[in-house]
Amino acid sequence: MSQEKMIEDMVREVLKSMTKGSAPAAQTVSTAAAQGLNPDRDYPLATKRPELLKSPTGKKLSDITLANVLNGDVKPQDVRIAPETLRMQGEIADGVGRTQFGDNLRRAAELTTIPDDRILQIYNALRPYRSTRAELIAIADELDTKYNAKINAAFVREAAGVYERRNRLRAE
Amino acid sequence: MKKSKRFEVLAARPVNQDGFVKEWPEVGLIAMGSPNDPVPSIKIENGKIVEMDGVARSNFDFIEQFIADYAIDVKIAEKAMAMEASQIAKMLVDVNVSRKEVVDIVRGLTAAKLVAVFNTMNVVEMMMAMQKMRARKIPSNQCHITNVNDNPVLIAADGAEAALRGFDEMETTVAVVRYAPFNALALLIGSQAGRGGTLIQCALEEATELELGMRGITAYAETISVYGTENVFVDGDDTPWSKAFLASAYASRGLKMRFTSGTGSEVQMGYAEGKSMLYLEIRCIMLTRGAGVQGLQNGSVSCIGVPAAVPSGIRAVLAENLCAAMLDMEVASSNDQTFTHSDIRKTARTLMQFLPGTDFICSGYSGVPNYDNMFAGSNWDVDDYDDWNIVQRDLKVDGGLRPALEEEVIAVRNKAAKGLQAVFKELGFPAITDEEVEAATYAHGSKDVPARNVVEDLKAAQELMNRGITGIDIVKALAKTGFTDLAEHILNILKQRISGDYLHTSAILDKNFNVISAVNSRNDYQGPGTGYQISDERWNEIKNISQAINPSDYDA
Repeated sequence: MSQEKMIEDMVREVLKSMTKGSAPAAQTVSTAAAQGLNPDRDYPLATKRPELLKSPTGKKLSDITLANVLNGDVKPQDVRIAPETLRMQGEIADGVGRTQFGDNLRRAAELTTIPDDRILQIYNALRPYRSTRAELIAIADELDTKYNAKINAAFVREAAGVYERRNRLRAE
Repeated sequence: MKKSKRFEVLAARPVNQDGFVKEWPEVGLIAMGSPNDPVPSIKIENGKIVEMDGVARSNFDFIEQFIADYAIDVKIAEKAMAMEASQIAKMLVDVNVSRKEVVDIVRGLTAAKLVAVFNTMNVVEMMMAMQKMRARKIPSNQCHITNVNDNPVLIAADGAEAALRGFDEMETTVAVVRYAPFNALALLIGSQAGRGGTLIQCALEEATELELGMRGITAYAETISVYGTENVFVDGDDTPWSKAFLASAYASRGLKMRFTSGTGSEVQMGYAEGKSMLYLEIRCIMLTRGAGVQGLQNGSVSCIGVPAAVPSGIRAVLAENLCAAMLDMEVASSNDQTFTHSDIRKTARTLMQFLPGTDFICSGYSGVPNYDNMFAGSNWDVDDYDDWNIVQRDLKVDGGLRPALEEEVIAVRNKAAKGLQAVFKELGFPAITDEEVEAATYAHGSKDVPARNVVEDLKAAQELMNRGITGIDIVKALAKTGFTDLAEHILNILKQRISGDYLHTSAILDKNFNVISAVNSRNDYQGPGTGYQISDERWNEIKNISQAINPSDYDA
């Protein structure tokens, strides 16, 4: 369907643009210790716990002002989300019983350090009939060892098994 | 046979131009209660679901496996599945049972069990349930802003008016794909001229939706479709695993997103497996929950012609909206694509979501004349603004909109057009003349504005992409040209992606850019006097329509 193709194209374009000049060097993904956040007390983080928030470039929310935009101190890469922030929001999600949503945010946290074009390739590899089992396992190993993306690695390994059982792997 | 004049008149009525079809369960042309729908069942061994709705784990299709492993909470499943469907339905309508109690049961139910629950309920009961189960306490509304010529000046002006009139989210798309960057830019500026904090998206068939989001020209995404049978999913060139991965990719870049699904898509694509539309849609809702996506646009959406043609189809559409809310997700409840020639029928269909309130009653309402709506038209459009406002006033219901004075509408339309004019000039895009600003300010639709040089515009739109222009550049351009408030507004939207607060369920922003979501504004409805109450301020806004005469203006 053209819509799905569109989405793929879109993702590719976006992710491409994001790597340009702004890709943070692959850093060790810190599995930051849980902050013990409480949805009623700490959410929204922007107003209740601003001291916990930083962009991946180290900017605080209070640094993001019009004056700093105009003098060039705030750049596009300063208005992005940090993996620690996604994990904190995952805690908030857990706190209101939305555990699957929390898990999604934790998978997302692992993906923040993966270059955009690689994310896109992995997405494509997960589509039906795109990959052999060995190719999916290789991706899982890469996620595991290169990016420390343990949850995503397990997710891709699981997909390999399902695709094999349902005949959705690429025929060799 | 001699013809009856009465039947002749009836045959000419708008409703008789609509299409209707009898049920045909074998191909899935049935809204609810197909004889082929599975019987609810669950078996759990060692914390894993080994049988669900009569299917053994070894025979699960990939949707079933995903639902079994990600959507259903095995800790509660056996207890929840042991309850009678009618007992769960009664909990839904019982004001003494809290939303949370229902959510905690629902997370242990299978698709067939959920279908069984809805099969026991009528639409009034479903509306009562929706009033309680909607995730965000405050209902809201979304609109479409497009035009046949992709005229950016008009998009800015229409966006400003729609934001002023109360829409918290707005969605644009294109007639000509390469116009997309300008449509998004124009809507961004227009939305913030109408009401700071309004969130915008650009639904595209092209390679730009996500890119525009990442660049900070749009604020969220919605067109990520999921389907209820494995064959249709594969036809859509995806799997639950690829879509869930995509969802995480969006979140990893700080962007709010929801999935889209709806009754009728599977039968339309020819692989309904003889199941009811509602059963297949509930599989979509459950896999969305399993993927950890915060919300769903559903309610048949662009397939509305299919359920609307069969018996109980509009009831099924309400059931699918309700089901998404019960699974604790944001619901953008359609009421969009035109499905009927009858104003009576369109109103009846809309009341199902309008009366109880949903996270977004329409997704969306056409904030432009229907001839300018590039989403194949909408059930509601600009010509219906007063009808919508007066129905809110008649029933004292908050449908998300407010009456607006002509002078304030003119003022924000003009400001939006001028803001866009300034940004175009600052960034070196084809000039927007004062004549165009004036025309867009006072226009009803694209027929009232001068044509632009499309070739030049498309070249410049491409240049916007090539030059890597981002939201930060737009902020700078607005500030440099004296539109400081618009610059601040857009910067505040950009800041949302640092905190991620607006990634949460049902998030919208108020005029001070505070997040209102189903975390800090949880629906606590438990009967009369509880849950969302229209404030005095809001009620004054709704009731003070300019059409009403003031009795004190008349001498006794």
